[in-house]
Amino acid sequence: MPAIEFLSVTKRYPDGTVAVSSLDLAIEPAEYVCLLGPSGCGKSSTLRMLAGLEEVSEGELRLDGRAINGLPAQRRDMAMVFENYALYPHLNVFDNIAMPLVARGRAASEICTRVARVAEALQISDLLKRYPAQLSGGQRQRVGVGRAIVRRPSTFLLDEPFGHLEAYLRLQLRAEFRRLHERLGTTTLHITHDHEEAAAVSDRIAVIEQGRLQQFGTFLELLDNPVNRFVAEFIGSPPINLLPAQLTGSENGPCVKVGPAKVPLPMARTAGLSQAVASEQLTFGVRPEDVYFDTQDTSETLFGDVVAIEPQGDFSLITVDITVGTIRAMMSSTTILRRGQRVGLRFDVSRAHLFAADGHSLLVPPVRPAGKAR
Amino acid sequence: MREATIPPPASRHRSVGHWRPLRTGGLLAVAVAFVGWCVFPFYIMITTALKTDPQIFAWPPVWLFHPVLRNMQNAFFVVGGRSALFFLMNSIIVTAVSTILAVLLGSMTAYGLARFHFPGDRNIAFFILSTRFAPPVAFVIPTYVLVERVGLLDTRLALIIVYTAANVSFVTWILRGFFVDIPKEIEEAALVDGYRHIEIFWRVALPLIKPGVITTGILCAVFSWNEFLYAMILTQSRASTLPVYLSQFSGSTTLVWDQYMAVGVIAVLPVLLAAWWLEKHLVRGMTFGAVR
Repeated sequence: MPAIEFLSVTKRYPDGTVAVSSLDLAIEPAEYVCLLGPSGCGKSSTLRMLAGLEEVSEGELRLDGRAINGLPAQRRDMAMVFENYALYPHLNVFDNIAMPLVARGRAASEICTRVARVAEALQISDLLKRYPAQLSGGQRQRVGVGRAIVRRPSTFLLDEPFGHLEAYLRLQLRAEFRRLHERLGTTTLHITHDHEEAAAVSDRIAVIEQGRLQQFGTFLELLDNPVNRFVAEFIGSPPINLLPAQLTGSENGPCVKVGPAKVPLPMARTAGLSQAVASEQLTFGVRPEDVYFDTQDTSETLFGDVVAIEPQGDFSLITVDITVGTIRAMMSSTTILRRGQRVGLRFDVSRAHLFAADGHSLLVPPVRPAGKAR
Repeated sequence: MREATIPPPASRHRSVGHWRPLRTGGLLAVAVAFVGWCVFPFYIMITTALKTDPQIFAWPPVWLFHPVLRNMQNAFFVVGGRSALFFLMNSIIVTAVSTILAVLLGSMTAYGLARFHFPGDRNIAFFILSTRFAPPVAFVIPTYVLVERVGLLDTRLALIIVYTAANVSFVTWILRGFFVDIPKEIEEAALVDGYRHIEIFWRVALPLIKPGVITTGILCAVFSWNEFLYAMILTQSRASTLPVYLSQFSGSTTLVWDQYMAVGVIAVLPVLLAAWWLEKHLVRGMTFGAVR
């Protein structure tokens, strides 16, 4: 039985805005799930409905199989970490962390030991007497986390917990959150608009756009098999290359025409293609790591000029201007290139994507060879 | 013409540096004059209370004298059968109880209006404000009749009820703004932490606006302490407050200056002490909204 279930949940605000549109989502016990999407996509409303801070307009919300639509927030046994920390400014760190225990009428001695233990785990033991105004952002968020984990809630709700933090602190806290989850095993719902953060902390990611769930799966599933153009664009760094394309035929089967090049598609991946899309303006998507340089001049080679070289360490990111757009390719830094150089490009079609005019993916998902991470 | 009087930037810069000591001195002089203007009546009141009758009316005024405590003693222990102490107690009880009640009821009303939306909430807010539209003197006769009918004439309870009613609307409107300014997430965090709304009010919202509560409390207390009209009409002797007692010193032909001033000192002193004690809250409360 899923720990948390959204059954056709819709959130409509009094002004008529539909923030969440018939959302179906099932989160397994002890799972760490990220709600990923651009700002204003409805992920916050989703979390707030689960927390009991917003009412559900339609549909049913279940916690351990029990409908909780009408259950007030204070009786849902969830703990939340807020983007702007939402600490109690008039209480010191100790009292802030102790508040959920005080609400439950725990004995003073128990409160003391539990707060002390949590403070130690989060390395804020020396801050217990300070007030929130005297803390840095990272310290405040640790206190916010401490307040959430001091009791054993059924669910953690994290609303952009790293939103206001500096980059290096985010990286550090990401790892800490994941470690904490491994240790506590509490079902967690984490909101973010950063796909790298989502990939780093979560078991599964739910991509949401305009109040609708686009795709729900592991990071690699979303990366390899995006159901539509939005997911393909949103997941992956550096972002996927998208080029206008048309479907044509050849003696070897269906081909994609990208600019002057004709790229043959592997038979195994064309099963779902129908003639209906032949006349449509399609989009060919290929990730920078699946672009290769090619010195041969074949019908499937695209030619262009190198316009930018961004060294990233082991590899460099090369931007190539072609007639129908620009392509970014990931190259080993040992390859010597210079700006303005004319190069030929080929694609790993076994891992490329083709999107219909309405955005949905047309090709059969690629099979990721076992052991290959990216 | 006017443009010609503005010096060029360079020379103006130099002239500011040159005139600075003079400007500071001028500002200081103005400040001293203003403070003197405000404090002088208090000085006269206090010294008059400590002078003998001939000294009070001496011309030129007597600046150096041996203070006598006879007037203060008279004020406290004799004068007209009842001492000022009795009226001081009335004033303290009426002010304290009505202020606590007004802040308590007003803050709860304000919290409700700030945080919950229900049909007619705006109308209720406006109604509460509208109770202050008319001058209080317009309600004196109806209030007298009401108080007389329920048999509360010349009781402290009557004054407590009237002052609380007058202050609740004021407290509600001031504190509503303070409650609205509290970030919603803090209260949402408390909800998720397991607190009910009434607990959030006591444990989170009210402590957060403590400076505002103290400021409005002081203003309510000052109002109740100084109120004369209703106290005059609704009390005769048993429940009279200090302002009523003070008014009895001005006879039709004479004023008993020394005792009048002695009671005046007694009337002013508690307010001064309270303001001095709560000064830091008063200043913070006034700037609370601006610099959160």
